[in-house]
Amino acid sequence: MADHMEAIKNAVISGKHAEIKALVTQALDAGLDPNTIINDALIAAMDVVGTDFGSGKIFVPEMLVAALTMKSGLDIVKPRLAAGENQSRGTVIMATVKGDLHDIGKNLVSMMLEGAGFKVLDLGVDLSVEKLIDQVKAIQPDILGLSALLTTTMPEMQKVIAELKTQGLRDKLKVLVGGAPLDRAFAEKIGADGYGANAAEAVELARRFAGVKA
Amino acid sequence: MDLKPDFNRFLAAVHHQETDRVPLGEILIDYSVQSKFLGRTVTADDLAGQVEFWTKAGYDFIPITVSMMSPGKVTEESKITRVLKEMVLREKPGTTDPKAWNLEMTSFIHERPDIDKFPWEAAADIDFSKLHAVKKLLPPGMKVIAISGKIFTLTWMLMGFNNFALKLALDESFVAEVFERVATIQFKALETIFAMDHVAGVWVVDDVAFGTGPMISPAALKKHVFSWYKKVGQRCHDKNRIFLMHSDGDLSTLMDDLIAMDLDVIQPIDPSCMDMAKVKKQWGDHICLIGNVSNELLRSATSQEIEARVKELLRDAAPGGGFALGSGNSVPNWAKYENYLAMREACLKYGGYPIKL
Repeated sequence: MADHMEAIKNAVISGKHAEIKALVTQALDAGLDPNTIINDALIAAMDVVGTDFGSGKIFVPEMLVAALTMKSGLDIVKPRLAAGENQSRGTVIMATVKGDLHDIGKNLVSMMLEGAGFKVLDLGVDLSVEKLIDQVKAIQPDILGLSALLTTTMPEMQKVIAELKTQGLRDKLKVLVGGAPLDRAFAEKIGADGYGANAAEAVELARRFAGVKA
Repeated sequence: MDLKPDFNRFLAAVHHQETDRVPLGEILIDYSVQSKFLGRTVTADDLAGQVEFWTKAGYDFIPITVSMMSPGKVTEESKITRVLKEMVLREKPGTTDPKAWNLEMTSFIHERPDIDKFPWEAAADIDFSKLHAVKKLLPPGMKVIAISGKIFTLTWMLMGFNNFALKLALDESFVAEVFERVATIQFKALETIFAMDHVAGVWVVDDVAFGTGPMISPAALKKHVFSWYKKVGQRCHDKNRIFLMHSDGDLSTLMDDLIAMDLDVIQPIDPSCMDMAKVKKQWGDHICLIGNVSNELLRSATSQEIEARVKELLRDAAPGGGFALGSGNSVPNWAKYENYLAMREACLKYGGYPIKL
């Protein structure tokens, strides 16, 4: 059992995309519990990847291939889960705020969150306060992730949080913010629940919000 | 303080020499700022107005963009846009959204066969007219620096960032071929640029890092991007031109590689993640630095705070040359105009050599 789990974990960490499906199939055929494969091999591997990315040991390409590998593994496991077992760690809405078309950072965080077991709905870029509030009402996410790359669009985040309060939605979710010009002080000032300096930090915060132990 | 343009002043700074004062250096100043400074409207087409601004504001050169797919330059009328529109409509008849054929909004090279489908010839049709036209407008002493040659950003833009990053890890030779196609066009353009005596340097604007470090591994950058830039640097020096680069982000782990590719100047030493004093101390003897008054300061600080920051930079980075004062990126339309003026005026007021701060 340990060999199968270790092989899957290593394949994700080193981005062996071509090998993952066979490895996961072998593990399932050997009788390993699908949930154990997901949590202790696939997601556990992405935790290592997140740490390595955060520390500068690996870079975007390696991180994305690991995430792709993880997803391919997940695609094999999911059909083998019993009804009701296929639960995510929470739902996250991701968006770049109005007036801002930058999406690289947001996309990386989305990818990493999926790798960490969250259900991610990426709404794209240039999202107005009104559109975001409508989506929050419709989707009822656990976390709202907002991104901005420009100092001129940062204030939109505060507007979103203010509108969440006005609409009585603020206490129903956590707000996570990120983007090159932001810092922790800005996040605190606008009343966000957390600030991620990079994708790894964002995932760590989301895990904390979801009550997942590191 | 002497405001007359003198490219030798800037050149001396590049070569780590002190002259009369610390030069000013920017890669881009929004036309709204130029207009306010001159008290009349300056537009993208008003080359005379632009030259007048850069001259009167105290710069020794004017930066002029001449590059394949320059951001902001891809218009409906561009040859590349027309060719791409024909291509898109051939493959997906009925497409109406102009974003579908806009190089800045859509990626076109996703798989290997897309390389040959892409209209490289049209992409290589670079417009040098502005670079030619500016010659007769330049006052004595002023030179042009051509903003040209970006390779990394154009490659990932053509492929889409996620696809580019994935392919780099899974199919490196495919990405290498796109890099080569882009670099070949950019490299060829250099020869036209070098034929113009009034152009004194080439400034590559290519963001290779995030605030936390390189976008791709230093090894991959070295192999696919810096190897080309080393050739650009060598060619620049063969032709007695200087080689400058702009990149946002934390370049700390790349600085040695940048210096090794014969780069003369790096700008802007991103103030959100790099400390100019530390950079100067560690690498300042080997490369000239331009920057790095934070754009956030330009947006939100008082003029007094801007002056204080300029004084710090002059004290930390200017002694011995190898430094020009500028913003932490470019001067956008959202910078407070009075803060742009404060930055410029503080440099002119306190930047006389020898620095006494």
